[in-house]
Amino acid sequence: MSEGLFRLRIAYPKAGRLRFLSHLELTTACERAARRAGLPYAVTQGFNPKMKVAFGPALPVGTGSTCERFDVWLREYVPAGEALERLRSSSSIDVAPLDACYVALRAPSLAASLTIATYDVVTVGGVSVEDQQGSLDALVKAGELVVEHKGKQKVFDLASTLPKEPKVRTSNGQTVVEITTRMGDRGSLRPESLVMAAFQRSGTSGSVLSVTRTRLAEEEDA
Amino acid sequence: MSDLWPRIEPLLASVERPARYIDREWGALHIDDAEYRAALVYPDAYELGMANQAIGILYQCLAAIPGVAPERAFLPWRDMAEQMRHNDVPLFTLESCSPLSEMDLVGITLPYELTYSNILEILDLACIPLRAADRTASDPLVIGGGPCAYNPEPVAAFFDAILIGDGEHAIGQIVSVHRAVKASGVSRHEILSALAKVEGVYVPSLYSTDSGSAVSLGIAPARVTKRLLDDLGMVRSPVCPVVPFMDVVHDRVTVEILRGCSRGCRFCQAGMVYRPVRERTADTIVRDVLAGLECTGHEEVSLTSLSSADHSQLEEVLRRLSRRLEGTGVTVSLPSLRVDAFSVEIARLLGGGRKTGLTFAPEAGTQRMRDVINKNVTEEDLLGTVRKAFSAGWHRIKLYFMIGLPTETDADIEGIGALVRKVQEAAKESVPPAQRGGIRIGVSVATFVPKAHTPFQWDAQITLDEVRRRQSVLRDSMPKRGIDLSWHDPEVSFLEGVMARGGREIADVIEHAWRAGACYDAWTEEFSLGRWREAFDACGVDPLSIGSRVREFDEKLPWGHIQTGLSSEFLRIERERASEAITTPDCTFDECTGCGVCPTLGVDVILGGESRE
Ligand code: SF4
Repeated sequence: MSEGLFRLRIAYPKAGRLRFLSHLELTTACERAARRAGLPYAVTQGFNPKMKVAFGPALPVGTGSTCERFDVWLREYVPAGEALERLRSSSSIDVAPLDACYVALRAPSLAASLTIATYDVVTVGGVSVEDQQGSLDALVKAGELVVEHKGKQKVFDLASTLPKEPKVRTSNGQTVVEITTRMGDRGSLRPESLVMAAFQRSGTSGSVLSVTRTRLAEEEDA
Repeated sequence: MSDLWPRIEPLLASVERPARYIDREWGALHIDDAEYRAALVYPDAYELGMANQAIGILYQCLAAIPGVAPERAFLPWRDMAEQMRHNDVPLFTLESCSPLSEMDLVGITLPYELTYSNILEILDLACIPLRAADRTASDPLVIGGGPCAYNPEPVAAFFDAILIGDGEHAIGQIVSVHRAVKASGVSRHEILSALAKVEGVYVPSLYSTDSGSAVSLGIAPARVTKRLLDDLGMVRSPVCPVVPFMDVVHDRVTVEILRGCSRGCRFCQAGMVYRPVRERTADTIVRDVLAGLECTGHEEVSLTSLSSADHSQLEEVLRRLSRRLEGTGVTVSLPSLRVDAFSVEIARLLGGGRKTGLTFAPEAGTQRMRDVINKNVTEEDLLGTVRKAFSAGWHRIKLYFMIGLPTETDADIEGIGALVRKVQEAAKESVPPAQRGGIRIGVSVATFVPKAHTPFQWDAQITLDEVRRRQSVLRDSMPKRGIDLSWHDPEVSFLEGVMARGGREIADVIEHAWRAGACYDAWTEEFSLGRWREAFDACGVDPLSIGSRVREFDEKLPWGHIQTGLSSEFLRIERERASEAITTPDCTFDECTGCGVCPTLGVDVILGGESRE
């Protein structure tokens, strides 16, 4: 069995049609790209050896991203720039890596350290930016949000879930809500749930066009 | 081409597993300036279709023709189909995202009988007239092919043409004939007449079935001879197949290491119609495996065929692959194992330290019954294999059996229970007492379905009442503890049997059942026999007279015009030997047993890439 001596961190997007992939589909696609790229990846110990990789926090089906990350352990050193080029030419364009760099072998795992995520939620429905901002502010002030998902109710304490206030802006003629959430052990708040709740609260019939994760950060950067 | 994506995208937020519909997989080909577009359609969900090897092979064959764009389409799941109908979005191909109806050629696979209602769902979603007779110059050419083409009659009315046999070379010829005649602006009838001249192509509209079997009306040949790829080495295994995002049924590289099987099991249609055995060489197998892995990035490769352990160079192939793949975490698998010690050895080579589960198919419980079906496996073989597997560390096996075989008596059924008991004892003896609790023995029992072009093609399938009675005989004979017994749904087998040997009258039944909601019949939760019974009644077709009636040897059979190379004399003699429980050896290892295929089709058995002669 091969020890992983180098830990390469890859940044990649989830864009276009591929935002419809599930987390499992996306991670499989990344692993296969690494194999196609011919990277000298390490494998796990045991009867069922697998490529040694680790991914950041999962994205739901339909949510895009400009800032995903995964770590792959290598047996041999490959210059990061070369690894990036090889990965890019082995990946579908919508998930083609943007950056690669080595990190310390003992660095904390992506899933554990990246707990703060920022999203752009594009909305449609003819509400003015001010009104939308107003209803979001009121919602945040109320302090609690109850979300129903697959028949189960979840209560989010918004003060701890939202390290930053949601902000509404216009960009390229679209209304965009920027939401930063803290991902907890017991489920994360979907940004679109917050936006839809705000619409409901203000009695408007707006809807969400797309959700894109734009930033993943560690707690101290919040 | 009309790009439907802007209309499809909004539907995806509300459907299950949208990865089925988004294209963009690694290896998918996008050829914008093609003069001719050919869609390969699998009449079931994406995750089943993407596991189908024929689609992958033909995709590659089409891509090699200049000016031709291969495309794929699958049956959307019910939620998506509903959304599409509701929003007036027709069935689309993945690559260009254009309506299926805008293709030049629509090739639909016929993988199993239970997909027949799906074919109508596909045509309807695509806005292509269901019946070939109703299509006009603006409709694509709809061609079928695949395992069920050997009795094409039940679906003949829905196809312009049906290819019988291997598609690798035939598909190119069909495309080139179609392109040439299309360019000259001739009528649809003339196009079909030209296609009927391509070897292996059956054009149903050029035959009359008034007399009970299909008779050529003049232009088409009296019998349609199956296409056969003499030597698998002539066509490379797909090097860069499409790599699905979604977790499909067999998510791996597949390299077909041999085609055909002449072990001669008398119930097995594949073993009869895919003769003779044609092996790829060890060199090409190793080359294609490595190339496929490199291009796809898959973590598993399967060496497929009807009986992969029969390949004459298998050990060499596995040795070379394990050396080349060491340390990569890539695994090699075989789809089926024979009941013998060699197979356990192979499984050990393949699995490394992993001991998941082993599957064996003794098919019948008594030696007499196994001799009737020519399954050349003895009780000693099975028990020896079981001992070897359990001593080597496996704790789980699954055994496949059939009930309802010709000449079967209750004693044969009780023999299954007795055999399973012996297997259980052998397993216990072979593992240390402390580990006996971990032993798992699965027994899966199917109802025998007689198929066309086999020695049992004249036999009756047992009725549903009789299936239930025999099931209870079997249940009573089974060990009371430690066995996981499962049944293949007998109602599904009943319908399969009627479809497998029916004639053109079945088309009305399929259409009736589909209109009443039949679709996705191979999915247990979607299947309803009641719906099919109503369809048989409404169309005045008696399913029992098709499935559960013994035919005379000289009776005209609906598939009589399909020439597989097997002589009907051979099938009849095999049927008689079955009655007497006399076995027939495998012609691959022993001498020719006179099935007729090699002389009729001018081919030969090919072992290790070389003709045996
Ligand atoms: S003709 Fe003879 S050698 Fe050829 S497949 Fe038939 S039995 Fe085998």
